[in-house]
Amino acid sequence: MVLVLVLGDLHIPHRCSSFPAKFRKLLVPGRIQHILCTGNLCTKESFDYLKTLASDVHIVRGDFDENLVYPEQKVVTVGQFRIGLCHGHQVVPWGDPEALALVQRQLDVDILISGHTHKFEAYEHGNKFYINPGSATGAYHPLENNVIPSFMLMDIKSSTVMTYVYQLQGEEVKVEPIVPHLSEAQLPDLRIRFAHNRPAAFPGLRSVKNKLDTAVRNHFSLIIKFL
Amino acid sequence: MSFFGFGQGAEVEIVLDNVDNRRTADVKGEDGKKEKHYLFYDGESVAGKVNIALKKAGGRLEHQGIKIEFIGQIELYYDRGNHHEFTSLLKELAPQGELSHSITFPFEFLNVEKPYESYSGSNVRLRYFLRVTIVRWLSDVVKELELVVHTLSSYPELNNSIKMEVGIEDCLHIEFEYNKSRYHLKDVIVGKIYFLLVRIKIKHMEIAIIKRETTGSGPNTFTENETIAKYEIMDGAPVRGESIPIRVFLAGYDLAPSMKDINKKFSVRYYLNLVLMDEEDRRYFKQQEITLWRKGETSRRTLQQQPASGTTSPMAGAPLANPTLPTFRSAPPPVEREAQDAPEHEQEIDDDDDRVRGQSAARASAPDATPSPPGRRADAPRRTALSPPP
Amino acid sequence: MVNSNPTSPQLSPVDEQEKLLDTALGVVKVQALEMKRCLDRSKLMDGLKHASTMLGELRTSLLSPKSYYELYMATTDELRYLEQYLLDEFQRGRKVTDLYELVQYAGNIVPRLYLLITVGLVYIKTNDSIKKNLLKDMVEMCRGVQHPLRGLFLRNYLLQCTRNILPDTVEAEDENEGTVKDSIEFVQSNFAEMNKLWVRMQHQGHSREKEKREREREELRLLVGTNLVRLSQLESINVERYKRLVLPGILEQVVSCRDAIAQEYLMECIIQVFPDDFHLQTLHSFLKACAELQPGVNVKNIIIALIDRLALYSQRADGGIPAEIRLFDVFSEQIAQVIEARQDIPTEDIVALQVSLINLSLKCYPDRVDYVDKVLETTVDIFKKMELQRVQYNSAVSRELSKLMKIPIDNYNNIMTVLQLDHFAPLIEYFDFYGRKDLSAYLVTNALENETLIPTQEQTDTLLTMIDSMIQDQSDQPASEEDPDDFAEEQGLLGRFIHHLKSNVPDQQYLILTAARNHFSLGGAKRIKYTLPPLVFQAYQLAYQYNTLREEDPKWDKKCQKIFQFCHQTINALTKAELAELPLRLFLQGAVAAGCIEFENHETVAYEFMSQAFSLYEDEISDSKAQLCAITLIIATIEQMSCFEEENHAPLRTQCALAASKLLKKPDQCRGVSVCSHLFWSGKSRASNGEPLRDGKKVVECLNKGSRITNQCMELSVKVQLFVELLNYYVYFFEKGNEQVSVQTLNQLVAKIKEELPNLEASEETEQINKHFTNTLAHLRARMSAPDVNTVNFEGLVI
Repeated sequence: MVLVLVLGDLHIPHRCSSFPAKFRKLLVPGRIQHILCTGNLCTKESFDYLKTLASDVHIVRGDFDENLVYPEQKVVTVGQFRIGLCHGHQVVPWGDPEALALVQRQLDVDILISGHTHKFEAYEHGNKFYINPGSATGAYHPLENNVIPSFMLMDIKSSTVMTYVYQLQGEEVKVEPIVPHLSEAQLPDLRIRFAHNRPAAFPGLRSVKNKLDTAVRNHFSLIIKFL
Repeated sequence: MSFFGFGQGAEVEIVLDNVDNRRTADVKGEDGKKEKHYLFYDGESVAGKVNIALKKAGGRLEHQGIKIEFIGQIELYYDRGNHHEFTSLLKELAPQGELSHSITFPFEFLNVEKPYESYSGSNVRLRYFLRVTIVRWLSDVVKELELVVHTLSSYPELNNSIKMEVGIEDCLHIEFEYNKSRYHLKDVIVGKIYFLLVRIKIKHMEIAIIKRETTGSGPNTFTENETIAKYEIMDGAPVRGESIPIRVFLAGYDLAPSMKDINKKFSVRYYLNLVLMDEEDRRYFKQQEITLWRKGETSRRTLQQQPASGTTSPMAGAPLANPTLPTFRSAPPPVEREAQDAPEHEQEIDDDDDRVRGQSAARASAPDATPSPPGRRADAPRRTALSPPP
Repeated sequence: MVNSNPTSPQLSPVDEQEKLLDTALGVVKVQALEMKRCLDRSKLMDGLKHASTMLGELRTSLLSPKSYYELYMATTDELRYLEQYLLDEFQRGRKVTDLYELVQYAGNIVPRLYLLITVGLVYIKTNDSIKKNLLKDMVEMCRGVQHPLRGLFLRNYLLQCTRNILPDTVEAEDENEGTVKDSIEFVQSNFAEMNKLWVRMQHQGHSREKEKREREREELRLLVGTNLVRLSQLESINVERYKRLVLPGILEQVVSCRDAIAQEYLMECIIQVFPDDFHLQTLHSFLKACAELQPGVNVKNIIIALIDRLALYSQRADGGIPAEIRLFDVFSEQIAQVIEARQDIPTEDIVALQVSLINLSLKCYPDRVDYVDKVLETTVDIFKKMELQRVQYNSAVSRELSKLMKIPIDNYNNIMTVLQLDHFAPLIEYFDFYGRKDLSAYLVTNALENETLIPTQEQTDTLLTMIDSMIQDQSDQPASEEDPDDFAEEQGLLGRFIHHLKSNVPDQQYLILTAARNHFSLGGAKRIKYTLPPLVFQAYQLAYQYNTLREEDPKWDKKCQKIFQFCHQTINALTKAELAELPLRLFLQGAVAAGCIEFENHETVAYEFMSQAFSLYEDEISDSKAQLCAITLIIATIEQMSCFEEENHAPLRTQCALAASKLLKKPDQCRGVSVCSHLFWSGKSRASNGEPLRDGKKVVECLNKGSRITNQCMELSVKVQLFVELLNYYVYFFEKGNEQVSVQTLNQLVAKIKEELPNLEASEETEQINKHFTNTLAHLRARMSAPDVNTVNFEGLVI
């Protein structure tokens, strides 16, 4: 089992003063194997912080990143998955699924992760999986009022991915599993399966289990049982 | 004790009355060994019996008379032949005659004056004895019985403490005090040494009790010093301002009352010698005469009984060092200045009369700072040969 | 000196010690054995003689304190046998008459006194009524040992022996048993003598062995301190007795011994062994004594130790400072007097004292901000008096001062409270450049960590003035360049901090931002790239805030304009600092924001911002890769905006297309114009009522232009790659329903790619292109096979 932290668009210090303390508390060093970052960290300190959480950090360049070393796009293989990483400001129109599909095809990836819109999204499209972790700091975006700080966590077991989104709503961190759009029956030939299991070793879940709202609790009673 | 008779001998025995109740006391004999004898006091009658037993049953003993004497005499060892009898009492027991059987004569010397205490020293002996003599033609039969006399004194009316400030200019300056000048033999010397100036590295300090026996007179005076006790009272080097307690129990030592000019023949005096030894083994000392006296039995007995009863302090008869011992500031200047025959390696600490008189007011400030004429220290004899007492 | 046999091999001092100790221990063992044998056979006098001989070993002058201690332990351990024997005898009623006198005939004083104490203890244990006198006697007699080491241990023995029998009652039934008063006198007398001996050690021996002596004294100090411990264990000593009978005597001894080591240790000892409520009632006399200590004494440590204890005490459940004790005032006054009285006290220690005072104030009077400020004021006054100019960074004074100022920061965890300290800012001025910057960074970090907000313009001004050393170059700044990483980090802090200059009231927020810009714009080119962007983003957010208040605030419109003006100026400051990428992006952000907030003029403003971005693109960005990035971003931004009239949108569109086609490299041109195609499809203007333009023809023109450019590419793999990308663009628009894209075009492109692909050399790159192409075809097949969801007619498509 591999835990992959997906996050981006921190915009520190341009738009935000710091990474939310509540998130910091959840993210314990040593539990996460990989970090996939959609960019716009903006400062070295933010990068250094990510490095303290996991040694394997992958970053692509956002429009406000000065660091020229960050690539525009990147492909990372975790388990049996090819995961594409791209900030998304260069994908026109921003956040357009078809336009992102172009990138997916070019990178030849199973999962494409992009950011820029500061709005978390996870969906399946053309049998591929698309993820946007939103802005981890809830940074200002001119086209998105009321940005909610969020990041995602992927639990990858060779051929299975389970994904969770963490959102800071008010003072509370809410965690939700990503509901697959398609049932497994409909995806007989896909390599991606969305198993309704919990990421056993993730530290944050235990601390937030009581905060799950009822709907999620009912829906994922199985998960909660394990929490 | 030896006697001899020609052929017809007789054994003479002097038996004192009531001996079961009489105390004995040790006295050093002529040969230096301790002997035990019956103890008498001044004014006490000496009574008893003289038993004369003929050696040969049925024999006869002719004599010119039988007498008993009570004799007190002083023997000077260097003058063997001359015994000075200061007391001699005689009782005739029998007139000239013949003894044909054993016989007993009672005798009594009533209220005998015994002016001096028995003493046995290095050069002189003062002794009392009874002597029975069967006067015979050729050789008398003589029997002597040694007695011991203790002179008792009552508590001296005048018993000032000994206080003195002494010093060696720029070197050492002390005040000392002994609580009395007269001590009875079971007494305790309590005192204090106060250090006013210390510029030498003192290793330790001790008190010695010295007995000085003086015999003869004029050019034929003999003096014998004997250290009766050495008692360490301080270990290490004090600094200015320290006061060191002294407490010496006398009962444990072999002491006798002081004797002054006994029958113009001898004196026995006691001195307390305060000795400081520095790290270079130089000795600094100061001697003070004390008078020892023998205390009457009655009071002594009470003292001894008290601890046995368990109700009072075990220190009864052993006065405690008094922490509030008066300071020495008002001490009168010493009356006596000791002329000294100091041994080679010793140095006597001078009295410091002038300073006591002149500067007593400034005492509390720094005596060290008192300017002093130079050179005295340099004059002081330096001696290093003497080793500390074992 | 050590009596070494000249024929024996030379021993090291350590070996020599061991040898001496072993010999002595050997004697002790033998004599102890003999003593026990005699006692077992009830030969008391002989037993005492052996005990005395054994104790004679303690007369040695040859042992080091450490070895002597071992010898002492061994010897006194054996003495316990004697003590027990005597106790047993006494309890069986077999009292030995005059035993106390008897042991005093020992000729040597050291063995004599050990025996005296041992016997005295037995007497006391079997007969309370002599306790008082006997204690007095024993402590007095010990004066005879003036040798420091031997005296200390002897008196320690006395102390150990009497530890459980000291009278501890206020009134005794039998006067002779003694009361606590007698115990106090006893221990104090012993303490005074031990202290004198301990101090005297310092003055013995050669001066070159001073360090060794001091070390040895350190080893022995516990012996002296035990006296104070003993006093503290007397339960009958209440505050009143402590105040009247105990402390004055101790202090007198401490002060009068005039020895720094002793004074320092004993004062701390007093603090440690006696209870805190005693200290509270005796502060004056204790602190007064502090002022009288020797020059070498670290009075600071003593006072600090006391303060720290009382501060802790005040926070304990059983503690609490009584209201009548004005702890802060007392310390404040006394410390002032100590400083006054002791000219030798180093500046850093003076400050350290203030540190402890501030600690005290914060712990005991957490609400009294004025106390803290008073300490700071005192410090300023002291500095003034000393005519202190600057405190050099990392000097001792600087470290203490820094501590002094960081404590309130850490304690309040709210720099707004720190701002209430009037003397905080003046004190900062005493630091040199590095010191000021360090403290500034500390303030800022604290605000960040505690999420403290600065809600007014005045406070913003005050605070930014306080941390000026971070904001602009300083007159006393060293000429040398700073480490760029450190500098970036420091300025990053400042950038983050700007988000904490925050009021809920928009007008106030505007004032805050203007005030902040006044400060930050002084920072020079190297700083403003960190500090101005956060200001700009805050301003954009403020504009959005006014947008939501348009109902309540009639002037919102004007205010928004003003804000964008503010942003314009601010971004231009960055441009003037010869930055390009950053201002370009800030302008684009502003354009989007202005486009969304529909204040009067907002289109003009948006256009202005956009044109500023364009100017920067054209004039300042020269790197080809950066150019492609920038134009893509510009295009993507315009694509999102819908505020422009056609008269503005049209030139923007064409300008983009033109700029894209003018890129230096052919592949960049191709990609640029391809991206541009979106402007004509999903781009929006007022002309289309905010609806997408859907200009299929222009889209295809763009893509065709891309094809033409691709054909000009020389490198085959690039060419094929670009064709695959173009194919995806065509497919994208085809699927979006652009009828200008024909199946024929797609077929042609597919055919062309299929034709060229085999000609590529096998490489990773070729493999990628192949994959890309395969994926594209797979996508098309999937779309074709799912006709029910298709509105697009794939008929005729040949794959």
